[in-house]
Amino acid sequence: MILIGERINGMFKDIREAILNKDPEPVRYWAKRQYENCAAYLDINTGPTVDPKDQPAVMEWLVKVAQETVPLPCCIDSTNPEAIEAGLAVHKGKAMINSTSADQWKMDIYFPMAKKYNAAIIGLAMNEKGVPKSAADRVALAMEIVVNADAHGIPMEDLYIDPLMLPCNVAQDHGPEVLEAIRQIKTLAAPPPRTTLGLSNSSQRCTNRHLINRTFLIMCMAAGLDSAIADLEDQELLDAVAAANILLNKDIYCDSFLKTFRQR
Amino acid sequence: MGLTGLEIFKQLPKTNCKDCGHPTCLAFAMAMAAGKAGLDQCPHVSEAAKEALGAASAPPVALVKIGTGEKELTLGNETVLFRHDKRFEHPTGIAITVSDTAGEEEIAARVGQINKLVFDRVGQLHSVNLVAVTNDSGDADKFAAAVKVVAENTAYPLILITEDTAAMEKALEVVGSKKPLLCGATAANYEGMTALAKKYEAPMVVKGADLNGLAELVEKVVALGYKQLILDSGAREVHKVLADQTQIRRQALKRFRPFGYPTITFVTNEDPIQAVADATVYICKYAGIVVLQTADPADILSLITLRLNIYTDPQKPIAVESKIYEIGNPGPDSPVYITTNFSLTYFCVAGDVEASRVPGYILPVDTDGISVLTGWAAGKFTAEKIAEMLKNSGIAEKVSHRKVIIPGGVAVLSGKLQELSGWEVLVGPRESAGIPSFLKQRWNA
Repeated sequence: MILIGERINGMFKDIREAILNKDPEPVRYWAKRQYENCAAYLDINTGPTVDPKDQPAVMEWLVKVAQETVPLPCCIDSTNPEAIEAGLAVHKGKAMINSTSADQWKMDIYFPMAKKYNAAIIGLAMNEKGVPKSAADRVALAMEIVVNADAHGIPMEDLYIDPLMLPCNVAQDHGPEVLEAIRQIKTLAAPPPRTTLGLSNSSQRCTNRHLINRTFLIMCMAAGLDSAIADLEDQELLDAVAAANILLNKDIYCDSFLKTFRQR
Repeated sequence: MGLTGLEIFKQLPKTNCKDCGHPTCLAFAMAMAAGKAGLDQCPHVSEAAKEALGAASAPPVALVKIGTGEKELTLGNETVLFRHDKRFEHPTGIAITVSDTAGEEEIAARVGQINKLVFDRVGQLHSVNLVAVTNDSGDADKFAAAVKVVAENTAYPLILITEDTAAMEKALEVVGSKKPLLCGATAANYEGMTALAKKYEAPMVVKGADLNGLAELVEKVVALGYKQLILDSGAREVHKVLADQTQIRRQALKRFRPFGYPTITFVTNEDPIQAVADATVYICKYAGIVVLQTADPADILSLITLRLNIYTDPQKPIAVESKIYEIGNPGPDSPVYITTNFSLTYFCVAGDVEASRVPGYILPVDTDGISVLTGWAAGKFTAEKIAEMLKNSGIAEKVSHRKVIIPGGVAVLSGKLQELSGWEVLVGPRESAGIPSFLKQRWNA
């Protein structure tokens, strides 16, 4: 399971203030903290309060601060193509682009960008019409993304399809559709595209958020999920992932599997 | 494995004409991948696309048969790179060479030696599979004559090794009906050789100068309409063979069609020890056939054993035969141990009995090859079954006492076993490592 730490995001107050004050400390703190909590990537998002014309510079600064602190690649998260390209330009190693949707004009921008910078890329199984409801519609959009990625020479190992989960309190019927979509997305190509999920979305404004996130993540892993953007402060989530890796025969069992999982 | 949507889509015309009843070519590809549509629904798909899609649904390594009758050799249908992922399906065929330069009697004598390469391993007979006749003389008549002598003296299928189509033709006039392996086609002779293979419907080796040459040549042969093929990358040095074997298997599993056939390897090292070592590499690393120059039983036994081990199914427990095993030279007063016929369990006990330096008898009860505690939990290691083994194995005639030692893990069986069998039941240690000290304290004490 490839864990992407969600915490360096301008939606959070401390990161928003860090950006305003040009104070690298909170960014460093969360980079380090998520690194210690098994992150394989750090999601970096300037947040919506930064003016679009300033977003490229802020993204550049966040990526630099994060990568100076820990040896991790970043998942460059923005709806602004210029901000993403600014992040890619200063990024060391193999970045991940977060994200394109199945809209042709977006794929025409982001797939060449992924190719140019040799980055992995997340493809959201949605378009301007919104998030599809059924598994079949999600898979059809995923297929559009797969075909476009392939046409741009993006290897399937670098393509992460996000079938999009909605909060379970208001869109409860999406859960089983997402699970089915993950299963089917893994059959679209050989080798299969990877899958990812913005996990915290599943429990927006619900109670017992950690329990909901953790339970859904494990169900998705059983369906073939490869990666998730998640709150890595949740130690029980990490324990559950470690256990799921054992039960899915991805890691070889040992009595100290919880510790081994954290040691990477 | 079925085709993926992407593989299908790439072969479609991408006109989005809707003639198939689907809104786009992409939607049609996905319907096909899901098994909800057939390729015949698209009126615009090309012949090449039909061929590609048909081939892609075939198994990654084709099934090829050599010879006829009881000793027919089946190769191919492999699906994994590592045996622990599933299993290796068809054991490597072992072939021994016979040169056509030898005299008739000499050839008959060597074939006689080859016929004797049959060994008893874990209660089953295992042998070499093929006799490879080599056209070292360069003479077509001599070759045909040698092939005739070999065929008359063995029931094994033959490999006819000559690149001379005239010599091959003459040999096939003698043994063509027995479907020998033609070895084989090269860039220079493939048209003539393929025609012969087609005529006799016999499998044929395709030999390339390297992997690229091999792939090209296979495509040419397939274009002539022949697919009963065995691959030879041309490599003879062990490190190159290893690399080529790995590539051929790996690409075949990725559905690169020209490499979707079993392979043949040749052991050419003149040092006999090194030759056996080279052959072990080929057996472990995907060779369909390994051709050896030695007919020495000492060389072949180790290879037969390795082949048996590598091609066992890792998901099935390996069992030993359920019978009396004598450790050391036991006599009428030696101890008798009960265990199960799971090979790991049996060999643990055997090793520890040996370590006790007291000769003894071991009776592994047939539990379908599962361990003591697993067998007990599954009802396959019961007092009844043990009593039956004590009664039917003949152990009573071998010992003068009536004492039997059972594993400590199933101490609970002792009372019932004693009642059923009439033997005095001693409960041994839980671990077989405790057998030596158990004997000191409890046997003859």
